[in-house]
Amino acid sequence: MKNNLRVERAIKNITQEELAKIIGVSRQAINSIEAAKYVPSTVLAIKLSDYFGKTVNEIFFLEETD
Amino acid sequence: MNTNLLLPYTFRKWGWIIFAPSFILGVLVLFLNVEFDWLGKKVFTIYAGSGLKILNDADTGQFFSFISGNYTQTFAGILCLVSLMMIAFSKEKTEDEFIWRTRMDSLLWATYINYFILIFCFLFFFDFEFLYIMIFNMFTILIIFILRFNYILYKERKNMPYEK
Repeated sequence: MKNNLRVERAIKNITQEELAKIIGVSRQAINSIEAAKYVPSTVLAIKLSDYFGKTVNEIFFLEETD
Repeated sequence: MNTNLLLPYTFRKWGWIIFAPSFILGVLVLFLNVEFDWLGKKVFTIYAGSGLKILNDADTGQFFSFISGNYTQTFAGILCLVSLMMIAFSKEKTEDEFIWRTRMDSLLWATYINYFILIFCFLFFFDFEFLYIMIFNMFTILIIFILRFNYILYKERKNMPYEK
């Protein structure tokens, strides 16, 4: 699964650390999601997209291999 | 993500504080047969006999009896196990689903490696040497887990970009 979390974060101009704190997860979690190494749970995906005021589909996309 | 199954964050520090002397005591017990007299001359046992020959008529074993023995190695072993579990299963400062998944991965990984080593030793060690292997094997699953889990978290921390 791909995502454009990094882009959304740049638009809002906040760091991984700040986003992690707001959402209530570790910075490692945000970093691994951005690096597409970790697929977040539905709960976390909704929390993230809520924060950016978007739908989950606007931030996370399936890849062909999914 | 059920973090209720984990110990509080501060238990990790206490785990290390207990583990250090327990490990040294364990090594002394195992290799130098150190025994403290004040830890008893008699120990309570559920079953003691000449090997587990419960079904054999000639068995001289006894259930629920006191036999001569010493609790030094018992305490060293228990303290090592408890402290290693405290180190292994206390919460991270920020506990989340990513950490939880890393923890579960590491536990599976440690179980595989542990039993792989055990199968290898089963094949190539016998008698008392194998008994020693079994003693070490009581701790290796926790040790492998601690190493692997902390290595992954360390690697993740190191890979994180410095950002403004």
